[in-house]
Amino acid sequence: MLRRLAIVAAALAALAAAAWYITQTPDEGDPIRKRLQAFAYEVNNSTVDGLGTEARAAKLGAFFTEDAEVDLGRGAAPIKGRETLIGMAGRLQPRTSAFSLRFEDITVAMAPGGQAADVHLTAEFIRRSITTGDQSLDAREFTIDMRRVENEWRMHRVTAVDTLK
Amino acid sequence: MSLIRRLVFGVNPRRTAVRILVLAAISFATFKWLLIPIRTEGSSMLPTYAPDQIRLVNRLAYRWAVPGRGDIVAIQMAGPHVLYVKRVIGLPGERVAISEGAVTINGSALTEPYVKHRRAWDVPEVTLGPAEYFVMGDNRGMSVGDHDFGRVDLPRILGKVVF
Repeated sequence: MLRRLAIVAAALAALAAAAWYITQTPDEGDPIRKRLQAFAYEVNNSTVDGLGTEARAAKLGAFFTEDAEVDLGRGAAPIKGRETLIGMAGRLQPRTSAFSLRFEDITVAMAPGGQAADVHLTAEFIRRSITTGDQSLDAREFTIDMRRVENEWRMHRVTAVDTLK
Repeated sequence: MSLIRRLVFGVNPRRTAVRILVLAAISFATFKWLLIPIRTEGSSMLPTYAPDQIRLVNRLAYRWAVPGRGDIVAIQMAGPHVLYVKRVIGLPGERVAISEGAVTINGSALTEPYVKHRRAWDVPEVTLGPAEYFVMGDNRGMSVGDHDFGRVDLPRILGKVVF
């Protein structure tokens, strides 16, 4: 009986270890995941660091291709071009609330040739009011067409997905 | 001393170690793949679920059955780490509409005892596809623009919120 229990426990432990190993093994999408996490880090830092607004916006713009297009859906017109995105980022005034962005469940499908990739992820936006401390969370699903330009992965087309239609 | 030792390790320490190992493995498998713990955020499920509560999602609930009207379900976005928690209002093939805050299914008013506050939402009638469900939160006292609701495909429904 004891031996049987030990075998079951060992089998379950081996299964858990295998699942952990599969999820931890690096794959070719890792540089893209790291790039997206770097973008989120820059967005989150930009609300608190001392960098000038324009420099900050330009830094964020470097994560997009020249002809990038961001479609946030819900009737909003798509934002076209890196310059427009930089202009918008420059106008953001994070005075009354701290904002943080987090990416979850990032799946990457590389295109043949390794110069483009389709990304699917959930973006979490957490707003924290500086005055009241209240926190609100909004989450949205996105697909991102990433391109490798000058040896850097950049967002080319960002499209919001309506989870609930 | 021997009593404490016996209470901690049992009569047979080897057997106790195996029991602990089995219990740990079963707990890990249960809470990783079967009953997923989630933390609720936001106010869209008030008053049924308040924010910052821990709930469990039964991932096997719809393995051999389909969601029923009134079930509270977890809906996945890009993956299982961020989920919507909503109530099933409309079933596949049904016509769902909201007029002055009142939900109608195939033209008949739906009784919703779980809704305590209601604003006069108006949503044009939609006909659900063969694998589509209409889901909403219980808090209808919110502005319609702040409340995420609508049609969802069955494969997105991860499981039933059970506790």
